[in-house]
Amino acid sequence: MKEFEIRFSGSGGQGLILVTRILATALVEKGMKIAQSQSYEPTSRGGLSRSDLVASMETVDYPLASSLDYLLILDEVAVEVSGEVIGEGCLVLADSDRVSSKPEGKYSLYTLPLVSTADKLGSRRVANLVALGALAGLGSFCDQDALEMATRFHAPKGFLDLNLDALRAGYELSIEAPRIA
Amino acid sequence: MIEESRQKFDIRNNLRTELFPHFMCPGCGHGIALRALLWAVHELEISKDQLAIVSGIGCSGRTGAYIDATTIHTTHGRPLAYATGLKLARPDLEVIVITGDGDCLAIGGNHLIHACRRNLNLTCLMLNNETYGMTGGQVSPTTRNERFTTTTPLGNYEPVFDACALASGAGASMVGREITMHVTALKDLIKEGISHQGFTFLEILSDCTEIYGRKNELGESAEMVLSQKAEYRSDSYGNQVEEPFQPRNIGTGVLTKNDRTEYMEACRLHNQSKQSGTANS
Amino acid sequence: MNMANSHENKIQNLQGNHACALGAIAAGCRFFAGYPITPSSEIAERMALELPKVEGTFIQMEDEIASMGAVVGASIGGVKAMTATSGPGFSLKQENLGYAAATEVPCVIINVMRGGPSTGMPTRPAQGDIMQARWGTHGDHPIIVLTPCSVREIYELTIHAFNLSESLRVPVLVLIDEVIGHLIETIDLSLTGTQALAERRWASGPPKDFKPYAMTEDGIPPMPRPGDGYRTHTTGLHHSESGFPTQNPAEVERFIKRILGKLELHRERIENFETLECEDAECLVVAYGITARAAKRAVKQARAEGIKAGLFRPVTLWPFPEEAFRALAAGAASVLVPEMNTGQLILEIERHCPDATRVVPLNRFDGEPIAPVQILKKIKEQVSHD
Repeated sequence: MKEFEIRFSGSGGQGLILVTRILATALVEKGMKIAQSQSYEPTSRGGLSRSDLVASMETVDYPLASSLDYLLILDEVAVEVSGEVIGEGCLVLADSDRVSSKPEGKYSLYTLPLVSTADKLGSRRVANLVALGALAGLGSFCDQDALEMATRFHAPKGFLDLNLDALRAGYELSIEAPRIA
Repeated sequence: MIEESRQKFDIRNNLRTELFPHFMCPGCGHGIALRALLWAVHELEISKDQLAIVSGIGCSGRTGAYIDATTIHTTHGRPLAYATGLKLARPDLEVIVITGDGDCLAIGGNHLIHACRRNLNLTCLMLNNETYGMTGGQVSPTTRNERFTTTTPLGNYEPVFDACALASGAGASMVGREITMHVTALKDLIKEGISHQGFTFLEILSDCTEIYGRKNELGESAEMVLSQKAEYRSDSYGNQVEEPFQPRNIGTGVLTKNDRTEYMEACRLHNQSKQSGTANS
Repeated sequence: MNMANSHENKIQNLQGNHACALGAIAAGCRFFAGYPITPSSEIAERMALELPKVEGTFIQMEDEIASMGAVVGASIGGVKAMTATSGPGFSLKQENLGYAAATEVPCVIINVMRGGPSTGMPTRPAQGDIMQARWGTHGDHPIIVLTPCSVREIYELTIHAFNLSESLRVPVLVLIDEVIGHLIETIDLSLTGTQALAERRWASGPPKDFKPYAMTEDGIPPMPRPGDGYRTHTTGLHHSESGFPTQNPAEVERFIKRILGKLELHRERIENFETLECEDAECLVVAYGITARAAKRAVKQARAEGIKAGLFRPVTLWPFPEEAFRALAAGAASVLVPEMNTGQLILEIERHCPDATRVVPLNRFDGEPIAPVQILKKIKEQVSHD
């Protein structure tokens, strides 16, 4: 499998670190090695939050994101933070309702109603899983089975079905996703 | 039985006499406190090898070195922290802390209140001579009103700590106070403190004759020791304190004693209940 | 595919701070006293979870000072003990760290560095405690400082820290930057921690003639265990071989010389470093922690472009592996020292470089790690300069 860098960004409390862990587990089961890092504000809710994954077959020299291949922007607050590290040809997925501006750089942009899809499923808190499903669908960096398995491993008890529904809903969304730029 | 062992008690058996002459000034009350401690240890038949003395910095801290036991002379104000680690690592040891009014109530005040709260099975002897003797006689948290020290040249105007009320308030399951005038009562109080399961805080009123006594014209050591009698009641187990606190007409003996569960025991019981709780669910 | 299996197989996505706790448990650490502080709290949290499983003791003390004191107390009792903290807490620990150094009580201290001075930036990385790690407590004192650059190395160096501390009777500090402490990497625990555990040399023989601070040939006196009949005195005052305080000039000098000298005697065992492409390097990069990971990539990229760059990574920061470094620096035209501070290790590097060698700083102290491109750019500047 190819080495790649991915970032989940948004605001604190959107569960970005959890979906990064789910993806990390799925990739490790596929035999890859990951380096996961995050940046957060001292508060648990609100404010900028980002969670990065560098995936490769061998332990990487430099474990932090320096040239992103995939980027999720789930909230307007996270638009500017990734400008420097968006790699050329990066696949950027932004929430169509909550993100209005665009980061600098040469990349492919897709927008999808991630948060409102989660709302329709019954909980805004699963927007993270919708986003993971959609980004994986668009980017093909990890197959759906592995992600579902990893979700079963990490999902909070009692919310597994909702989380799996969200993951699948995101994947469905990606099939018809219009490329914006 | 007690009479018999009392006769056999020879303080030299529990001292490192090779270190003599000791550092204490003539008339210092710390020697009496040391004697009472070793007497109590003797009567309780605690083996020298199982005894660990943890002390801080100052005149009180230095007294520990003369005891023939494992002795740990730690940093200023921290003996309770060291003793907490030692006791948790080695519950088999009898851990006794020797500290002073500055060591325990000023720089070590935080450790004292939390040691009281935890209720780990330690015995803490605070030798209160109302001053920092080792550094030349500065004002301490227990220096009385209007007393002269090198840092209160016009007399002390700060309120004092009632160490026993502090320890009781913070949750120590046994608190007591005694004067060096009452050597036998002091020995018995220390015995009761060591035997108590939980954190014991004992304030021992000691005299600094050479520095504090001289500066305040309190007389020779005999006069200072005798004056304790007028100032501390032995008839009361209460701890009624007038505001502002002054060590006058203050009760001695056991002031607080309850059977609150000891720290390690509480931990053991708690873990046991959690384990059985998991098994049931 | 079975997720649970990979955990049994010990392949884990493990956070650096958690790896530290697991390394400590594997090293035989059975006592932890700590106080909450970002970004090191995960170490305490994991120890609170793991220690009861191995009948160890975890305690959250009332403050940083007390947790260091409790660690030294537990270690005197004969139990391998550790604490973890970050900058502000590390400042508070210095007093009892000095006591451990003077009384030669083994203990391991973890400092996950954050931005400073003062409260600084609790959640942002920095490498600002390099000199404090060496000289934080007052007076001349022995200390060993290890600095890992990956999750796996945190695990291994925590074990190594206990081994060095227990066998040499010296406090060992593991200096981690926030990036590595919070980084999650895939590691295979079955491939790590196979190093043998070093145990403290306990006093044996007749208690009567026992000298707790005897001048032994290897500089390390055996340690008396309370309850074993030795009844010794431990004090932070300068002490003679008997353990009791002394102000005798000859005894004091002998004591200081021995506690510092034992690190010299065992330097070979203590010193540890990694080199990459150093042999013919014209520009030698010296870096540690996360900065070393960036430097590694930069050096590889430079080599790919035909630039003769190399990396010297001190794993033991103190005592600095000076001999090995001197040999390599002698051949380089320039030595580049990227650090997440305003220039700390560079002061040590300058001491060991020949006058002809240009020593160049690259500093970042804005709460962001130094990126590989920054180092590569600086390497190129040096080479074009020559």
